[in-house]
Amino acid sequence: MSTTTARTAALTIGAPVVLIGALLVGWQFVALNYKSILPPIERIIAEFVERPEFYITNLGITLSTALAGFAFGAIVAIVLAVLVVHFRFLRAAVMPVALLLNVTPIVAIAPALVVAFGFNAIPHIIVAAISAFFPMLINAISGLQAIDPQAEEVFRAMSASRLEIFFRLRLPSSLPFLFAGARLSIAAAMIGAVVAEFFGTDEGLGAVIVMATTFLNLSQMWAAILVSALTSLALLGIVGLVERAVIRW
Amino acid sequence: MSAAAAPAAIGIRGVDKVFGTPRGEVRALSGIDLDVRPGEFVTLFGPSGCGKSTLLRIIAGLEEQTAGEVLVHGTAPSVASARKNIAWIPQSSALLPWLSIARNASLSTVVNRRADTRGRTDRTPEDADALLAELGLGGFSGARPNELSGGMRQRTSIARGFVQGAPLMLMDEPFSALDELTKDTLRLRLLDLWDRHRKTIVFVTHSAFEAVLLSDRVVVMTPRPGRIHGVVDIDLPRPRTRELTESRAFSDLVAEVKHTLQRGWEDEE
Repeated sequence: MSTTTARTAALTIGAPVVLIGALLVGWQFVALNYKSILPPIERIIAEFVERPEFYITNLGITLSTALAGFAFGAIVAIVLAVLVVHFRFLRAAVMPVALLLNVTPIVAIAPALVVAFGFNAIPHIIVAAISAFFPMLINAISGLQAIDPQAEEVFRAMSASRLEIFFRLRLPSSLPFLFAGARLSIAAAMIGAVVAEFFGTDEGLGAVIVMATTFLNLSQMWAAILVSALTSLALLGIVGLVERAVIRW
Repeated sequence: MSAAAAPAAIGIRGVDKVFGTPRGEVRALSGIDLDVRPGEFVTLFGPSGCGKSTLLRIIAGLEEQTAGEVLVHGTAPSVASARKNIAWIPQSSALLPWLSIARNASLSTVVNRRADTRGRTDRTPEDADALLAELGLGGFSGARPNELSGGMRQRTSIARGFVQGAPLMLMDEPFSALDELTKDTLRLRLLDLWDRHRKTIVFVTHSAFEAVLLSDRVVVMTPRPGRIHGVVDIDLPRPRTRELTESRAFSDLVAEVKHTLQRGWEDEE
């Protein structure tokens, strides 16, 4: 038995390490032979180590935009999902609009919002919120509908109120779905924030990437991309930890 | 309320149920008349599609009849339900996976509390811990449902029903998903509880054996449309035991219940 667990552990840790190693070797090969395509890895790391405060400051701006957007987008999505599940009219009205919002290219919305709201954080937060909104809405609706019909009948046979059914049955049943939504949503908010910062600002990881493009500074560009990706991974990890603490069944 | 001193636990008169489906109307129940006395154990027996579960759901107030009258303790099912006078035990255990076994069993104490303070009630709520102990789950009150076997979950569901303390308990094939050995044990445990807590029980099943073992009366139903074809009185001694099920009288009654059903089907053709 212990050999099986050891083998599983070796697999879950070893397999990704092998793949990442292979990717890094491939990266270095390209970087050393075609200098204009990728920077060597040690240059990216050196770039970050030379001025970490530059990246951390800009990450802070992107992260607060992403988190504010996630909070707005997710809360609006959950409230809307609750209404949609209880009122069929609202469902018919909301779903096409939500779908339209989802298929609208976020890169196109961002400059439009900058024009509308000016050179401040608001258009960036809105873009992050729109990105976070849809995955949370879809998961919240699925979750709130995923109640055991027989459990609902037990409640109804006791003449439980709709409010009691919501808080004692519907909401707890939906928690696994809400966390699945939160994971997709927080990653989308981070991407939305970076993309939004391409426009109308000179702060944040998105702006850092645009500046690096202008000066053809490959290592700065990739350092910013890497910081953003690793931050998203960390956010996913945090959501996972909260989920484990909340869902214990 | 009727003039009689003690109203029937359940009074059903001329109940029809018609479901509208995309392919037209389906008559699920037709001309149902049935009275159940307080403290009686009655099973609704028949094949799938005979409307036995629909009838049970109408008694529970989970579904509305198309025509006819249903009275539970002299009131409409919705009134009885608002007073928490009906305990519903579904086919699956339908426990809440995030609650402990003890809190699942005492669900009725936190839901619809208005019925406890304001509504007139004939209930005598029971202690969840005591009932779990009676059902052999004493050591598991802190466990979560997914840590328990199917049979233990079903016992928790039954405990939840008894904790509510309603005088009427409605059970919709609660043992059908369990294996044969677990069924045998749970049937006798249920009878034991019924004997000690004196409830009126209406129990839906498609097993003639289970119907005879449990009931005072077996109501035999036939499909298309669902109607009551006959009622078989089970005058076997109580408490019912495993030995009794091996007796001649028992197997004769099982045969009679099955024959009543077969005659009903032949009449139809």
